Amino acid sequence: MKENREERIASIVLIIFSAVYLTSAFFIPMPALKQQLGPGAFPITVGFAMLILGCIYAWQQFRGGPPPKETEEEIEKRAAIIGAEEKIEKKTDLKTMGFILGLMLLYAFFFEILGYAITTFLIFMMGVFYLDRRHLVRDGVIAVISSFVLYYIFTLLLRVQLPAGPLKFLEY
Amino acid sequence: MDFLANFWSNVTLGFGVAVTPFHLLLCFVGVFLGTLIGVLPGIGPMTGVALLIPLTFGLKPNAAIILMAGIYYGAMYGGSTTSILVNTPGESSSVVTCLDGYEMAKKGRAGQALAAAAIGSFIAGTFATLMLMLFGPWVAGIALNFGPPEFFSLMVAGLTVVTSLAGRSLVKALFATLFGLAIATMGIDNQSGVPRFVFNNPELMDGLEFLVVAIGLFALCEVFVNVADLKGAVMERLNIKGSLWMSREDWKRFWPSCIRGTLAGFFVGGIAGAGAAVASFVSYGLEKKSSKHRDELGHGAIEGVTGPESANNAAAGGSLIHLLCLGIPGSGTTAIMLGALLMIGLQPGPLLFIQQPDFVWGLIASMYIGNAMLLVLNLPLVGMWVKLLDIPLYLLMLFIIMFSFLGVYTVNNSVQDLFLMVGFGVIGYLMKRLDIPAAPVILGIVLGKLMEEKMRQSLVISDGSMMIFISRPISLFLLLLAVVAITNPYWKQIGHGVRRLFGGAPAA
Repeated sequence: MKENREERIASIVLIIFSAVYLTSAFFIPMPALKQQLGPGAFPITVGFAMLILGCIYAWQQFRGGPPPKETEEEIEKRAAIIGAEEKIEKKTDLKTMGFILGLMLLYAFFFEILGYAITTFLIFMMGVFYLDRRHLVRDGVIAVISSFVLYYIFTLLLRVQLPAGPLKFLEY
Repeated sequence: MDFLANFWSNVTLGFGVAVTPFHLLLCFVGVFLGTLIGVLPGIGPMTGVALLIPLTFGLKPNAAIILMAGIYYGAMYGGSTTSILVNTPGESSSVVTCLDGYEMAKKGRAGQALAAAAIGSFIAGTFATLMLMLFGPWVAGIALNFGPPEFFSLMVAGLTVVTSLAGRSLVKALFATLFGLAIATMGIDNQSGVPRFVFNNPELMDGLEFLVVAIGLFALCEVFVNVADLKGAVMERLNIKGSLWMSREDWKRFWPSCIRGTLAGFFVGGIAGAGAAVASFVSYGLEKKSSKHRDELGHGAIEGVTGPESANNAAAGGSLIHLLCLGIPGSGTTAIMLGALLMIGLQPGPLLFIQQPDFVWGLIASMYIGNAMLLVLNLPLVGMWVKLLDIPLYLLMLFIIMFSFLGVYTVNNSVQDLFLMVGFGVIGYLMKRLDIPAAPVILGIVLGKLMEEKMRQSLVISDGSMMIFISRPISLFLLLLAVVAITNPYWKQIGHGVRRLFGGAPAA
């Protein structure tokens, strides 16, 4: 029943989200120029619809009584037919996930401070060290290519701007 | 006669645009990268197209869309390879291909399975492109007469039809669509100049960049989902034994299923507006019912590979009709392409179709060329693509992270966008865990602004009366379609029929 608890929490979160969205939609100021439909109307409609759906979702999760008509197998088959993304059932490794999330946040934080090339190299190597350190030389070479070489390909060849960071003096 | 002359001048115009050395090169790069993405496990066409959009920023619109279409087509091709050799579909539309493709590979007929998939895809893709050339101008001509109310209703219908097919639970899928619409309302309202949901943050004035959400929800989410296997997972794959060439017997069985798959796929993708995954399942059901060798299906019958693979490519081509002629995406991947076109400053739809023929016909011509390139790229080189499966998963995930950051940063040169993207990555993971589909969110974001604009324009025309949506016949029809899609178990019945045809075959 753990599955269901997650969904129950989710449904409440969605209701809260919808309610907050809807309330702030009501506070959208009207422009000086009168219009048929102000800037608030569309968000209010969307907010109402979300709130209703959120409530239906919660009702589906909280009502006791008879289980849904379709059996689990039928649901699975339909899901396959309509191409729904597969559900994740594997046990999640929270520690690795936390590490990856931390890595991403660090990456975002240092992206401009240290520049693309240095940050990417460091983040890549940190990832390699944590996840699999059996092929350090190979992975190190890959990290250099994907950070420094890619930096020059993008900035010089494709003319896409990337932060240089302390390496600014190397340019041109 | 007039029609033919028009057609011919359009075609020559198109090839004139597409056959320049630079555009041919871009087309090749596109199908190459697309195949790469399709083959790599865990990166579907949606993630792939989203990740590669930044490559197009430096290009002119013509060049950008040629590159993008190449990626789109390539990714559709590439997915079948992993289905056949590893029994892991690279994307949802190749799920059925696993059933017979992998069985064929186990019997040492991997070569023939790959050949059947590639040739079937080629024929279907060419057919869909041809249909787009023949009927595109006609559809665009009709849509040209649409006023704001019709467009609003068309968008409502498009959103609901796609949403009703997008997940296990209608409530969740609808909520996802609305979530997308809600995100689209962020930023300065471009009709009144009033800021909405900006939280006094200057960077949010232009609204939330769609690529930030798309890459977060698809690419980073993929990283989180795969984290469980990150440590030392190895893919087991079958080797290609024997020749790639199909025997006379294979060819005899190939044609009928290819034609059935192509027609079914085109109908599902081009007319009903449903995506490639639905098409492949409908086709498999069709084979189960009408093939001469139906008892062999599921045990390595060539029909089980040809049909679905033809169908998903025909549908992919067909849904481009919706995108180019109406401006309404019929699938998650085309929604991402629409978003990319909007970023370049193009608004696909009937106006674009009529006013910028060089753009539209250049794209169509390059789809032909790309299809031919894919055939060459895929068959002889399949051994090389398969080697990609040996890339360790942790490196792949690090690459995805890197490309996501690179791509999102280049949109606005904003670090805040990077943090938002990570946030959406976490949201995407939670959604996946809760089985809420992510594609409708993208659809909502991409269509939200335009939908609101059309709604307000309509109400200005009607002086505030909502009746305008119902009193116009085309608009009424489209809204009824939306109602049918949501309330009636109409689609479910089709699903039910398919399910019955599908019989006891294991799903996914």
